[in-house]
Amino acid sequence: MTRRPIRWLGPGSYLVFLVWVLFLIALLPDERIVPLLIAVLAFGLLNGGQGLSPLRKVRFWTLILSIVAISPWILGEADLTWGWLRLSRAGFEMGLWMALRAVCLSLAFSVSAGALSTSEIIRLFEGVGLKGLGFSLGVALNLLSTLGGTIEAAYHTIRLRGGFRRPCLALRLFLVTVIANALRYGDDVVRAASARGFDPAVQRRETSLFRRADGVFALGLLGLTGVLLLWPW
Amino acid sequence: MVKEKATGLAGYTVRDWVYVAVFGALWGAAELTLGSYLHVIFPPLADTFVIGLIMAGLGGIIVLVGRQFVPRVGAAFMMGIITALLKTLSLGGIKIGPIVAILAESLLIEVALLLARRPARWNFVLAGSLAVSWNFFHKFIMMRLLFGKGIETVYVKMVKDGSNVLHVDVRYGLLIIVLLFLVRIAVGALAGWLAWDLGGAVRRRLSQET
Repeated sequence: MTRRPIRWLGPGSYLVFLVWVLFLIALLPDERIVPLLIAVLAFGLLNGGQGLSPLRKVRFWTLILSIVAISPWILGEADLTWGWLRLSRAGFEMGLWMALRAVCLSLAFSVSAGALSTSEIIRLFEGVGLKGLGFSLGVALNLLSTLGGTIEAAYHTIRLRGGFRRPCLALRLFLVTVIANALRYGDDVVRAASARGFDPAVQRRETSLFRRADGVFALGLLGLTGVLLLWPW
Repeated sequence: MVKEKATGLAGYTVRDWVYVAVFGALWGAAELTLGSYLHVIFPPLADTFVIGLIMAGLGGIIVLVGRQFVPRVGAAFMMGIITALLKTLSLGGIKIGPIVAILAESLLIEVALLLARRPARWNFVLAGSLAVSWNFFHKFIMMRLLFGKGIETVYVKMVKDGSNVLHVDVRYGLLIIVLLFLVRIAVGALAGWLAWDLGGAVRRRLSQET
């Protein structure tokens, strides 16, 4: 059984963190990416470490290491001969920084998005006045499995009737059928919502985007921004 | 006929929000299934051009058809937000590139239709072109953001890749870049044109049954 870590921060702080990382990645010179990466790792660990799961994936490391491995060949002037290979030290260095930026951004995204559950995202939308969008997200999530069935049924019906002998016509028919069926299902959802007197404009009371801890966190990020940007490293 | 309440965002009804969900889910389903499948078929180097172009075209069609059924300001962008959030559920994990592309394309469709004001075939063609053209700039922006790469590096790489795809000599770099951009514009225009027809066909299908 996995233990869910205690959450000190509200959902808004995770989005603030992501925007903060994006902002600094665009602004910081190469050598200051390392402290930013340390900050991202620390935040990930403080949040239980689930957001750092990409670090355990072979696919993630394949992508990152391929950046480092390929860059001496394709970037910079070749100044090193190693057997029949002509490599560039500057290219290798550039590749290394590129890989660090990629790790930093991927982890920040994974930590922030991974920390938010669907219901929290819905509440977050409600909190910023986009109540209907939260409702839409809930409907869309429940619709995905139904859509799978609709798409499969439309595909097999057209195939069994020999529709794919004329591929363009079949594709058009397929799309019209899938969209029309999805809209029909949507109409059922509207009827059900209306029958229950559902109104997405009604806001839940417990919605609170920012708590005191979020304010302290935001101040911390601001201070760290000053250190990363202005400190004479 | 079900009586609907006008809600929030510029008088959206419950039906509008549900239709936003339907088209967001359709685009999301395409991204989660076809998008993942295409990533397996094509080698990583062709990602932005081949897969990005196919998915951007398809996404453009879905959102533009959706905009015919929810003719309200912000609807296309809302569909994009729903799709982007569904994309975070992807089996391959959370990836920032496709999410930025989805949001940017839906925003560009929204802006184009907002400026055009009236829904018409040529406005859809324009919106589709604008949305798919993002695919061209996406690489420059993402490379800068993810890898800190300069515009020249991306340009050189794009010319090399384009030269392989289009079978044009690398010496004609500018021609390759212009051709790559025009291909995107053409695909987007086609998506807009098809979306207009498709929306009409869906509407006819639904009206036949009621």
